[in-house]
Parts: sequence; C-alpha cells; structure tokens
Amino acid sequence: MMSAFAQAVLNGIMNGALLAVPAVGFTMIFAVLRYPNFAIAAYISTGALAGWVANTWLGVGALPALVVAFAAAGLVGVAVEEAALARLRPSGALTVAIASIAANLVVENMLRFGFGNDLRGYDLPLRPDFRIAGLRIGPQAVETFLLAAVVMAVLFLFLRFARLGRAMRAVADNPDLARLKGISPRRVAMVAVFLGAGLAGGGGVLLGLDTAIDPLTGYRVLLSVFAAAVLGGLGSIPGAVVGALSIGLAEEVAMLAIPATYRSAIGFAAILLILTFRPRGLLGERAV
Amino acid sequence: MSLLEAQGIVAGYGAAEQILKGAGLRVEPGEIVTIIGPNGAGKSTLLKVVAGLVPMAEGRLVLDGRDVSSADAIGRARAGLAFMPQERNVFGAMTVAENLDVSGFLEPKAAKARAEAIYARYPVLAAKRRALARTLSGGQRQILGLAMALMTEPKILLLDEPSAGLSPKAADELFAAIVDLNRSGLAVLMVEQHALEALAISTRGYLLVAGRNAAEGRGPDLAEDPEIRRLFLGGA
Repeated sequence: MMSAFAQAVLNGIMNGALLAVPAVGFTMIFAVLRYPNFAIAAYISTGALAGWVANTWLGVGALPALVVAFAAAGLVGVAVEEAALARLRPSGALTVAIASIAANLVVENMLRFGFGNDLRGYDLPLRPDFRIAGLRIGPQAVETFLLAAVVMAVLFLFLRFARLGRAMRAVADNPDLARLKGISPRRVAMVAVFLGAGLAGGGGVLLGLDTAIDPLTGYRVLLSVFAAAVLGGLGSIPGAVVGALSIGLAEEVAMLAIPATYRSAIGFAAILLILTFRPRGLLGERAV
Repeated sequence: MSLLEAQGIVAGYGAAEQILKGAGLRVEPGEIVTIIGPNGAGKSTLLKVVAGLVPMAEGRLVLDGRDVSSADAIGRARAGLAFMPQERNVFGAMTVAENLDVSGFLEPKAAKARAEAIYARYPVLAAKRRALARTLSGGQRQILGLAMALMTEPKILLLDEPSAGLSPKAADELFAAIVDLNRSGLAVLMVEQHALEALAISTRGYLLVAGRNAAEGRGPDLAEDPEIRRLFLGGA
C-alpha cells in the first residue's frame, strides 16, 4: 500500500508538471486581459498536432517539436483574439469567456476537419522504465518533467528580467498606470495571448509525449487546467504551478480510493473548495 | 508661449452629463499651478483629460507649442507630460527597482542612469529598492509614485491629490519634495485636498466650480481670499 501511494505521488508530480505549462498559459492571459480564455483547450490540441506534424512528417525530436507547437498555437491564439475576442472585450469578461468557448469549438472542429478523429502518437523510441526504490519511472516522463521545468524557468526569467516581461507584469497590475508610462496595453495583451496560447500548445506536445493525441486532447484536460489556475489564484503564475502540481497529485492519489471514471471530479471538487474557503486562490495576490 | 494650455475642455465619463463644461488653464514654464474647488467640480477629471486617460468631447490641448489634443496617454507621455494618479499610482506587485525600471519604458537606455539619480535624490527608495511597492508606507509610496513620474524626465508633472491619506508629517515632506522638484525647473500642475498648503507653494491657482473656471489668481492671493476660504476651504 505504501509503495502504491509513493508511486501515485510520483505520478502526480509528473502529471502536475504536464498541467502546469498550459495552466500558466491560461493564467497569463487572465492576468493581462482579465477574462478566462477557454479556447486554451483548442490551443493545446493545436500545439499537440503541430508538434506531431513536426515530429512525424519532418522527423524532428521533442524539443524542436515543442518550439513548432509553441509558435503554431501562439499564432492561432493571436488570430482568434484579433478576429473575435478582442472586439468583444468592451462587453465584459463574461461575454468574452462565452465567446472563447465558441472559438474553442470552431478551432477544435477545424483541427478535426484537417486531421480527423484518429488517435495519433509521436514517433519516439520506446524505452524501458527505470526502477528506483521499487518505484517505476518512465524516461519519457522524466524528460517531459524536465522540459516543463525548463519552460517554466525561461518564462520566469522573461517576466522577471526582460523589458517586455516587466511591461506585461505592469499591465497585469494596473493597465491605466502602464499606459501613463508609455506601455501599450493592447500590444502587451497580444504578446500575452501569444505566450499564453503558445504555452498551451507546448503543453499539448508534453501531453503528446505522454499519451496519444487527437483534436480533443485539450478539451480532456481543460477542467484540470482551469482547476489548477483557480486553485493557485487566477492571474498568479506561481499559483498556476502550485495549483497544477496540487491537482496532478490529487488526481493520482485519489485514484487509489475511487474509480478512474471519477478522475474529473477532482477538478470540480478543487474549484468548489477553493472558491468556498479561499476565493482568491492559494497565491492569488502575486502576479509573478 | 505657455508650456501647457488647455482651452474649452468639455469631457465626462460615458453617456452621463459632461463633468467639464468648458474649463481651461495654462501653465508657464517653472510654475506650480494648483486647481482647487468643491467636490464634484471636475478637478481630477481635468487632470485625467490633460493626461489622456479621459477623452475630451471638445477643447484643445497644447503642450510646449504642439497640439496634442488627439494624442493618447502614451503620445502625451512621449511629448513630455507625466501624471501621478491619486490612487494606485505604483505597481504594487513589483519591487521599487522594477517600478522605476518599467517607468523608464519609453527610454530604456537612459532608465538605469535615471534610476540611480532618483536613488541619490530619494535615499528612502534606495534603501527599499528590493521591497515590493505594496509593502511601503503611504508616504514612501507617494515618493515612489513621484519618482516613477520623473523617470521620463517630463516637462510638466501632473499630481492628483498627492497628499491624500498621508500623515501631516508625510504630507509636509511630500510638499517639500514637490517644491524641490519645481526649483530644479520642473513645472507642476496639481489638484490638492489640502488647498491652503498647496496654494501657499503655488505660483498661480484656478478655482473650478461645476466644471467651469470660477476664479484665477496668484496662489497666495487665492489662499488669502476670504470668499474662497469661506466657500471652499472651510476657513474664516
């Protein structure tokens, strides 16, 4: 029983790292534009499939596939924002959030039209799992975890030290004051959408390295991603990481006690609990 | 030629009745000009219009000989105007150093040297450069807001109720800092709740009532005007 629990904790950390990348993308868009963009699910699928194209058609490895996925999903995100969501912003966050659900369906169906509904897998060599102290760890999972960690570290450094990163934090904190300092909230919003959607796309590749993908890959993890962002505090990037690790752990550990069909209930329960007892989330006051 | 001239400003928020109904003012180089008036007169709105945060329905704004009526807040910042709002005038989740750095966004190459000059001018900020802005005291936060406005080396500084919420000692220190900046050549246009103190350090003042100019004069003269004291300043 103890080893099963330890294995679940290990799997949970790996699972959480996978969720963290798109969760940070989701919360980054929220931090700057102040609306929940549910089209993030389609951006995850876009990234997963763009990475798959790069990997299986062009024969590139996981890291270049991640870059391709980031760029593809980022561009789709900016196109959706420019074509549909940006003009609805004056109508309020709820309107844009609902429109983002519609945009998600549109992009998802475009992917389905282009790629069909078949499950696809990345073309990567199969390698045996490691065994450490009785725990089973897949080398692919370790690589995925490290990739997720590198992506988060790069993002952290960008937001801390890059001029544009600081401008993004300034707009997230106070858009009017940022304007007075010469920072264009509109341009920063586009950068945030590109990065947020790009991160979601990168998360799609990480999911694709772990499991089979299709146009609904993003939709299947949307609830967990949303729950991670809410748990950590919407708009808080460290919060999204903490939230994702918590949700990842909770989903895996709960599987020891409840059937796997109830896995999605964990996300619902987390949202319910956090909104009841700590509505601003675990780290809701810090944007970065 | 005036440094700043606003003529016939009509402005408000959305579809509601216009708050400013033809207000105007001018600021000459090196002046401190204070706008006083009762609550709801449109003082803060006038500053926001000048800064480009509230659009004007009618009127003309000329900054240093250049018509900036159609420029947005960013364009006016580029033209040499800096505005310190009354509230939320610092980025609370960022450190003091980051606040100064991001305030130098328009001229990043000069930002580091300007920040160092600001640390030399305001040692309290140098001592707190790694502290999050939201952890500063009220007075320190206002000094940071002032310093952030200076990062663009503006021609004119707009201050909206800079002493609001400060202790008398912190307010005195802030007024001293404003006078010090003005002596170094910076023109200042402010709205201030402590009208007597503000007029005492002002070259000129405007009395705004119901969105229109009601009086204009030298700052100390307005401060001593018995009618103004009785009507708006609570004095005798």
